[in-house]
Amino acid sequence: MERSFAREVQMLKKGAGEVFEGEGILAITKALLQSGVSYVGGYQGAPVSHLVDVMADAQEILDEYGIHFEACGSEAGAAAMCAASINYPMRGAVVWKSTVGTNVASDALSNLASAGVRGGVVIILGEDYGEGASIIQERSHAFAMKSQMWLMDPRPHQPTIVDLTEKAFELSEASNTPVMMEYRIRACHMHGRFVAKNNRKPAISRQNLLHEPDFDYDRICLPPSTYAQERHKVEHRFPAALDFIQKHRLNETFGGDIDEIGIICQGGLYNSVIRSLQQLDLADDQGRARIPIHALNVTYPLVPNEITGFCAGKRAVLVVEEGQPAYLEEAIHAILRKADVNTTIVGKDVLPMAGEYVAEVMLNGIAKFLEGSVPRNVDLDRVGAATKEVADLKARAAELLGNPVPKRPPGFCVGCPERPVFTAIKLAEKEVGKVHIAGDIGCHTFSTLPPFNLGNSVLGYGLGLSSAAAVAPAFDKRVISIMGDGGFWHNGLTSGVASAVFNGSDGVLVIMNNGYSSATGQQYIPSTGKNFANQPTGQTIRDALRGVGVKWIKTVTTYRVSEMKSVLKEALTGAQRGLKVIIAESECQLARQRRLKPEVKRKLDAGERVVRTRFGVDEDVCTGDHSCIRLSGCPSLTVKPTADPLKTDPVAHVDNNCVGCGLCGEVADAAALCPSFFQADIVQNPSSWDRFLDKIRRGVTGAFMGRAPA
Amino acid sequence: MSDARPLTLLIAALGGEGGGVLTDWIVAAAMAEDLPVQSTSIPGVAQRTGATTYYIEIVPKPSTDPENRPVMALYPAPAGIDVMVCSEILEAGRAMESGFVSPERTTLIASTHRVYAIAEKMAMADGRYDTDRIVAAAAELAKQPILADFAALARQQGTVINAVLLGAIAGAGVLPIPTARLEEAIRAGGKAVESNLKGFAAGLELTKAKSSEPEASTAPGGPSLPKRLASRIDATYPPELRPLVGHGVARLIDYQGTRYAARYLDRLDGVFLSDDSAKGFALTSLVARHLALWMAYEDVIRVAELKTRRERFARIRAETGAKPDEPVRITEFLKPGREEIAAILPAPWGRRLRAKGPGKPRSMRVRTDRLGGFFRMWLLARLRPLRPTTLRFREEQPAIDDWLNAIIAAAGLDYEFGCKVAGLAKALKGYGDTHTRGRRNYTEIMERLVRPALAGNGPRGTSAEKVARALDAALSDPEGFALERALAADSPPRVQSAASADTVENRSENLQAQGGKAA
Repeated sequence: MERSFAREVQMLKKGAGEVFEGEGILAITKALLQSGVSYVGGYQGAPVSHLVDVMADAQEILDEYGIHFEACGSEAGAAAMCAASINYPMRGAVVWKSTVGTNVASDALSNLASAGVRGGVVIILGEDYGEGASIIQERSHAFAMKSQMWLMDPRPHQPTIVDLTEKAFELSEASNTPVMMEYRIRACHMHGRFVAKNNRKPAISRQNLLHEPDFDYDRICLPPSTYAQERHKVEHRFPAALDFIQKHRLNETFGGDIDEIGIICQGGLYNSVIRSLQQLDLADDQGRARIPIHALNVTYPLVPNEITGFCAGKRAVLVVEEGQPAYLEEAIHAILRKADVNTTIVGKDVLPMAGEYVAEVMLNGIAKFLEGSVPRNVDLDRVGAATKEVADLKARAAELLGNPVPKRPPGFCVGCPERPVFTAIKLAEKEVGKVHIAGDIGCHTFSTLPPFNLGNSVLGYGLGLSSAAAVAPAFDKRVISIMGDGGFWHNGLTSGVASAVFNGSDGVLVIMNNGYSSATGQQYIPSTGKNFANQPTGQTIRDALRGVGVKWIKTVTTYRVSEMKSVLKEALTGAQRGLKVIIAESECQLARQRRLKPEVKRKLDAGERVVRTRFGVDEDVCTGDHSCIRLSGCPSLTVKPTADPLKTDPVAHVDNNCVGCGLCGEVADAAALCPSFFQADIVQNPSSWDRFLDKIRRGVTGAFMGRAPA
Repeated sequence: MSDARPLTLLIAALGGEGGGVLTDWIVAAAMAEDLPVQSTSIPGVAQRTGATTYYIEIVPKPSTDPENRPVMALYPAPAGIDVMVCSEILEAGRAMESGFVSPERTTLIASTHRVYAIAEKMAMADGRYDTDRIVAAAAELAKQPILADFAALARQQGTVINAVLLGAIAGAGVLPIPTARLEEAIRAGGKAVESNLKGFAAGLELTKAKSSEPEASTAPGGPSLPKRLASRIDATYPPELRPLVGHGVARLIDYQGTRYAARYLDRLDGVFLSDDSAKGFALTSLVARHLALWMAYEDVIRVAELKTRRERFARIRAETGAKPDEPVRITEFLKPGREEIAAILPAPWGRRLRAKGPGKPRSMRVRTDRLGGFFRMWLLARLRPLRPTTLRFREEQPAIDDWLNAIIAAAGLDYEFGCKVAGLAKALKGYGDTHTRGRRNYTEIMERLVRPALAGNGPRGTSAEKVARALDAALSDPEGFALERALAADSPPRVQSAASADTVENRSENLQAQGGKAA
């Protein structure tokens, strides 16, 4: 894995009264242990990969409490795991990235929510919305509404987060309903502290085993039970949830002297609301606001009494709700209308319908609300000045800079084994023409960005091949589908490969086999060869492909660009029909370097011979066309100002981060680019034979070397 | 605002630069001081080489109560940042663009070195962002700008940039945390402690010693030349042109010899005579540059010569950080096509070889640290005296004269037009396919825009703009789509003739025809 969590695991052991400190997602993990979970499962994905990773590193604690941890094959698998809590009073938690993970989990979630739970089930959702997000922009809210699960959006304050996580289990049990807790990226990575409690041993666990299976047809999702379950949701679970939320004050109301108006916000946005009010001089340094705020730590269901109670007597209330559709705003309108409360509700009229509510957006929205509602004792000049200051500052910066600063999108790492595959595709396209490429989710999706700009569609994780199903037959030449090894095991093997063989599809699939789920931090997957407990698994992609009937399989080392290009050409233009799979194989360079670096250091320290390889560019030979960069995109292949007084364009340059993967040489070769590239192998701790040979070589060549003009 | 207002720090870094560790150090130091602190970040996919930020708030008033603390924000607010740290200068521009640098509050600590963005790197000519404007903007927008090459400092200290930046933050005197606490945090981190502390001290020192002092670039002087040529330059050219012309002469002496260098001056003199002192001899200066580069075109002989020089081997050792006793094996990746081989054969043989068609390039890996590989290259370099008899040399000379004639004729119509025609030589770059493409682009623009304009076809006065637009288009995409669009819009309807050459074969005939004319 990319990160070791040895230190964090120690934090998870903290007992009552001790201070825990760390990232938000680890605080939640600690809260799970304090809640007495019997099982934890999940599927990695930013921003909640760490919860899965830390559990994988925390075997010792898990064993101590008999907690079962499962690195699930997909989010659907993780959701299905919660079935344990349908029949037995076992608490459990699962985690994944939303909304994409929730999409995958939905089949199991619907059934889980219908059957209802005896043991508390908490689903931790890492929301990947806004700045830094890598997925489609949607809300998790609709999942809660359609399946009747409860949705919490806790205020980002670690003691509150931990307390609410514990309460979520109680809410789940009191209402027989799974509870989803959503955390935005920044909250997951928020460093803070809280006073810990003791971890709790689960009543049912690997140490306290069950003996009698529970059979109750009422818990089976088949008619007529399903009709009874739906009625149970309406008649029992929903009212029970409202009771619990109200009784335990899961939502928080903060008073203020300017009470003719108010703000209702999602709990997760509370801090941003406070900061904007501080900027407008409407909150003090401690965060006490002068405008009353109702923070919804539970965003579904809303408690009508609380809403009407907060709004009654106010002229106008601002609803701060991120994303669309505006479920909360609409629901609040309906609640007030039914209760005949005439407060004006303002929401998406002053705040944007789409996009993250970053500081500036929030400030402008609240300012507009104040300017529209004109409350007494609010200095509107001050409000106008605060927003103008920001606008002026940005305008002045734009004026001074002249041109927008170029973007710096993410890309393939130095020496990444996936990059050469796209170089090969680009070169193959020069010979066979442009090809439709059905992309997939993974590091390889970066191929859609410059300098490659390869990939015509991205439909979801593991769906590269499936997404070519209808477009392939409509093309005059074969199409290429891409799939990562992570996506392959997640669902691509069945939804893509087995289905393509079954349907007799004629196409090319490139599977990136880099050994791990690498974009999320190199978690182990079936074809890694071992699981997180380091037990060998004996699962390979090739065997799986053979098993579902693929006949044409070629494995190519990704760095061999010429070979990859000719195999691609063969697959694209060869006579054989049917699915052709190229396994593009080479280990994730990040993982490889992490493995090699300590090993190399040990050898060097022990005086053993080590050959270090890196590439370089002869700057006086380079003419500054940068074709090599357009075919590579490696971060260590860059440009630098030329030292030549006659040239003006920058020359290509390989910086010191080069790991000597060999792609530069392959590209110079396969693309017949230019003679500027060289490979340098530095022999460290040379043997006496090395030294002898070197002395002779340097001695003889040195006598004949030319000289540059002074 | 009271002393309880949180101090806000925003760190902009690139994936893999240790921005997270830098954040952890600051948080640990603040906690050790019992200052309420909160940090957050948005790593996600940005950790894969993209730009990302880390945000920290520190309340400058101690509190030991871990539960009840002021509400701190998770988002940096424009006009609300006290300390903006940028690990690279472009990121400082981005921070200013987003309003995170304000004259009232912000101490801007930014490293002036460059890590080029992909859009800057992949341009076919010079796509670099003008960072001088960022430096100038920082001076106006930041309350306290602290700009220095912190990356170079980190390299000198054998550490990474985050430790140096932490030192710079300490040196700026803006944190409510004593320096010793920050050092403790580095120690407690437990990784590469010694080198990190060294980097920290260097950053601290530098920031205390000076603030905003971007390095001045030194103006290049002229090279040393044989007396005869030097005095010829001095006699003809004004002082401001002499260094550049001198470099051109030096390049050609190195490339072929003093006679060839003299030919360079003969050619340049022609342009200079028709130049205009009122325009600051812009035309001569452009031609001096491009003419030298064109006359010193890169053929196999030149490449072999450059690759067998003492300075080159020394440079590789320095660049790779090889120790003096460590052998360095060097592998060259060569793939000469038939065209490149034909280029260095005596002209008649070269034509015969070329007539066989382009053929398949053979890839060669040559070990120039070994005797066999070195001497193969060395022997190739020895072919230099024979170069004037080679096919390419014979072809390039008339092409150069044709270009110079076109420049002089164009400048006669419109000075700017002349300059743009001179700049067309920029299209001639690279090797193999890249070179073929550049040559094709050059010919296209010459035939479809320049010649018709010189012949009096088409409206006067707009030719300079059209040529500039076409050259920009030629350098904007390698496939030539943009150029085709630009030419379609700007040139008269295309007439098929011997002159509209667009293949290698046509080009050679074309060049021969021109050669014949010149002779």
